Amino acid sequence: MKRLPPTGGAPLLGIALGVATVVVASGALLPVRTHVTRATPALVLVLGVVVAGVVGGSLAAALVALVSAAAYNLVFIPPFWTFKVNVADDWVALAVFLVVALAMGLLVAGQAERRRAAEAREAELRALYDHLRAMAEEREQLAEEATRAQVLERVDEQRAALLRSVSHDLRTPLASIRAVASDLRDGTAYDEETRTELLETVCDEAERLDRIVANLLSLSRIEAGALTPDRQAVALDELVADRVRRLGGLFRQTRVQVDIPADLPLVDGDYTQLDQVVTNLLENAARHAPPASLVRVTADERNGMVELRVSDEGIGVPDWERRRIFEPFRKGEGSRSSGVGLAICKAIVEAHGGTIDVDRTPGGGATFVVSLPMREVRTA
Amino acid sequence: MTRVLVVDDEPALLRAVGAALKARDYEVATVGTGQAAIDAIALAPPDVVVLDLGLPDLDGIEVCRRVREWSDVPIVVLSAEGSEARKVLALDQGADDYVTKPFSTAELLARIRVALRHRTHVASPDDDAVLRVGDLAIDLARHTVDVDGRRVDLTPKEFAFLALLARWPGRVLTHRTILQEVWGPEYGSESQYLRVYASQLRKKLDDDPVQPRLITEPGVGYRLVDPAAEAPD
Repeated sequence: MKRLPPTGGAPLLGIALGVATVVVASGALLPVRTHVTRATPALVLVLGVVVAGVVGGSLAAALVALVSAAAYNLVFIPPFWTFKVNVADDWVALAVFLVVALAMGLLVAGQAERRRAAEAREAELRALYDHLRAMAEEREQLAEEATRAQVLERVDEQRAALLRSVSHDLRTPLASIRAVASDLRDGTAYDEETRTELLETVCDEAERLDRIVANLLSLSRIEAGALTPDRQAVALDELVADRVRRLGGLFRQTRVQVDIPADLPLVDGDYTQLDQVVTNLLENAARHAPPASLVRVTADERNGMVELRVSDEGIGVPDWERRRIFEPFRKGEGSRSSGVGLAICKAIVEAHGGTIDVDRTPGGGATFVVSLPMREVRTA
Repeated sequence: MTRVLVVDDEPALLRAVGAALKARDYEVATVGTGQAAIDAIALAPPDVVVLDLGLPDLDGIEVCRRVREWSDVPIVVLSAEGSEARKVLALDQGADDYVTKPFSTAELLARIRVALRHRTHVASPDDDAVLRVGDLAIDLARHTVDVDGRRVDLTPKEFAFLALLARWPGRVLTHRTILQEVWGPEYGSESQYLRVYASQLRKKLDDDPVQPRLITEPGVGYRLVDPAAEAPD
């Protein structure tokens, strides 16, 4: 950092102004020099020293003090226009003048220098402060840019993850369909039972493809912010019964038990969207249910909401993963789905003003709890 | 009866592949996890393993690596499209061949047959002075190649390339394997050499682009097949 010199001001300017003051003052007092005492010109001439000290610093003050002493002697101490001094009084006056002028000049110069130093320090501090502020601003800006870059990077990563998982998800059912179809086309001889089973597999996998496409459409709607439920009165017992029947192929290895009271209040919701929630939860349960285990669907009224519970007897969801499984592309352990199904459930349920959570099934497994608003019943 | 172990966590795929294999008189066992596959191979060694690379517990490549420590059972891996690096890794870790999902059953069956053939009979230059792949005859002692009775002039490197592939007909050989066998152990990543030689070979063998003898497996390697015997997709 720059440090200003402690002595200072402008010595040459100080000398010039000081000398000029001395000359002007001497000139002004010249006509009256015989009518005033020795003290008057001395006081006036000191002015020049003060000016030199303030403007030019101590060296200029000392120099102008000498000059003014000379002027005092030349102009005001008889015999005029010589450096001769005849009276002892005048010697004393000249000496005292010189000493006072020097002292005064140095004092004033010192004061001025201190002021200048203080000002310099203040300027220095201000510069330092400005510099620090600029640095802080720059750092802030950099941090902002870094955050923006990170966000963009995350979006890119998510897109790549989506593409990877979507292509994997689409290809998995396609693999089975293509294997069976190519085999049947080649005329492989199957007994009737195997043939039926293979064709059922093709149908199941085609339906699975359809569900994946439905999820992808929902995902794009969610991303576009266009997930507005078209609300109507939905009878959850009918919706679940219909969906379980349609997903029959999913539950060849497991049992499904639906236990929804017929007098359950109607849900205020979008039938198609809620159907997708139920589909995804059932598919999720089927995927994690061990063979011959039980998948249960129950519902009841709780705290003015309709609560739907889908439980399986699989490995369950560890506590640390309970929140994260509703984030997109967050696959549970051992899961091979794209991990968008539960995220879609959450988006739909929340768009309805409801909540979704995962709990432990007593005895092991996961229970998904969906809370949905009731349709207000108008009493006649 | 030939025993096949199919490892995949997709029940639908197990049903499809299992039915196709049973219809061709293979004895089929199916498991859904990598650990179950290792256990099954240790307990009752099958004649060939069909192994999906994306398993829920262990990576398929890891299963390959572990099984290869104590077994040389042929392994055909099933892998997703677009993962050439994983295919190469699986082959490096001891897999014999791969089929890309989605695949036709005929394709998978052809790979299984090739893998089984190589386990039962590995052609060696000593007892097979002439290697034959379809209408291709490669005389290892005389360094001559005939296509359908017509003599073809090959450079020494072209000959070595073709002879190596002909020793393992139908089976994929990775770029690295070919480079190290033909060019030497200090080679391994110069797959652009292979592209040039493969294209020259195809020209000299008068390969039909629709049914080539020398098949490029993009990003992985090459295989030499008999187009007449190769089942259509």
